[in-house]
Amino acid sequence: MLTYEPGDSVGHRLDARSKLLLQAAFAAAAFGHTDPVGLAALTGLTTALIALASTTPGVVFVEYRGVLPFLAAAPAIESLRLGAPWIDPAAAVDPALAAYRTLLLLALVAAYVRTTPVRESEAAVARLVPGKAGRLLGLGVGLVFRFLPVLQADLARTREAMAARLGDRRPLRDRVRLVATAGLTRVLSRTDRLAVALRARCLSWDPTPPESTFGRDDVLALALAAALAGWALWPSFAAAVW
Amino acid sequence: MIEVRDLTHRYGDSGGNAGAPGNDTGAEAGPFALRDLSIQIPDGEFLVLAGANGSGKSTLVRHFNGLLTPDEGEVLVDDTPVGDDLVAARTRVGMVFQEPRDCFVAATVARDVAFGPENLGLPREEIDRRVERALAAVNMAGRGDERLDRLSGGEQERVAVAGALAMDPAHLVLDEPFTGLDESARESVLAHLLELHRDGTGIVLVTHDLRDVLEHADRLVVLADGEIAVDAPPSADLDAIDDLPVRRPERC
Repeated sequence: MLTYEPGDSVGHRLDARSKLLLQAAFAAAAFGHTDPVGLAALTGLTTALIALASTTPGVVFVEYRGVLPFLAAAPAIESLRLGAPWIDPAAAVDPALAAYRTLLLLALVAAYVRTTPVRESEAAVARLVPGKAGRLLGLGVGLVFRFLPVLQADLARTREAMAARLGDRRPLRDRVRLVATAGLTRVLSRTDRLAVALRARCLSWDPTPPESTFGRDDVLALALAAALAGWALWPSFAAAVW
Repeated sequence: MIEVRDLTHRYGDSGGNAGAPGNDTGAEAGPFALRDLSIQIPDGEFLVLAGANGSGKSTLVRHFNGLLTPDEGEVLVDDTPVGDDLVAARTRVGMVFQEPRDCFVAATVARDVAFGPENLGLPREEIDRRVERALAAVNMAGRGDERLDRLSGGEQERVAVAGALAMDPAHLVLDEPFTGLDESARESVLAHLLELHRDGTGIVLVTHDLRDVLEHADRLVVLADGEIAVDAPPSADLDAIDDLPVRRPERC
């Protein structure tokens, strides 16, 4: 399950704001350079960045194993034709590159989630977006990060209990319906209990934030983010000037 | 008969089996949940499986009906490896989970209890017969149309037991069935389990609380750090559990 893993990697030492900005710049670069050469460069950078966050490509594949079939399906579907020659491989190239770009972004997200405590993400968002809107957004981010793993665990237990009574022999549509219904019931019940628990612990819109951990590594990260942002904008700039 | 041979299981990054052979994904293999463990559970036996949190109790019983795959070793039900015939294993070994709500897939009692027999593809008359019999066995006869979310904790636990019983299992495995139950609900659930045992159903009761249950058990197995620390008739070996973090019966 994709959650925070305590550690002492470079990724762990970085301030959450630096990591968020780096991700935003990386995303911009990935959308600015969709050709194979650009994606190859970003692949190298992704490999280095996730290694600095104590994350391996294997971990990324395991965490996103449920997403991978959908990413693979997009180019496959795009290449299908309703008439002869039935399959057009050239049509699959662009969706394949887009799917690959998404995978790179997901790898960075995995590295972020594994190296950043929820409370720091919450505080980083509140610091980046000024005013009440930022605090509200931060609180929302914190709730999502805390709530999703709980729901995932609930659904996993429901599926396991179904399997124990041979529920996995049912047609896929039936299983999806059963897990979705049970999941929705659990979500509603969990949400009620979470709301009570948060009120019981004096949920605040303006809690004491964790200490800022901004350091020398963050300067390097921000420099890299600036370089990526510049690289992302370069094609548009070059087209405008020349 | 449930037979476990040299079973090793490591906690995985994705909820199990990250360290399994042929499953080398690069994810870290976790610590040992079970280490080279062997045990035989004959039909009809009332076995209490005790141990502290994290000792491997729940992991072990999840292997009995193939909810987990061994990293090493094998598990057999009636001489057939569990992985070779999951349907047979899950029919022979009924499982009731710690939180009864995890077991429920329907809104009403009878619909939920019918879930397992429906998955076996039984005729509707047979399903109805099994549902009635299972509900009667846990003293819930005539309450099939009631909503599950309106039942008390003890009643929900009994419905979860009925759901497993409707599969007609030879062994009923209950993972911490008394958690969250008050004393009367606990007594009620235990009384029904004893009645099932008298009728020939094998019971594997996973618990860290030995109060009330030990006197009825045929055998006590205590796990510690994924290994068997005690395996003996309850009357013979109570001194051996003195140093283990389980709640002993007060009379001992």
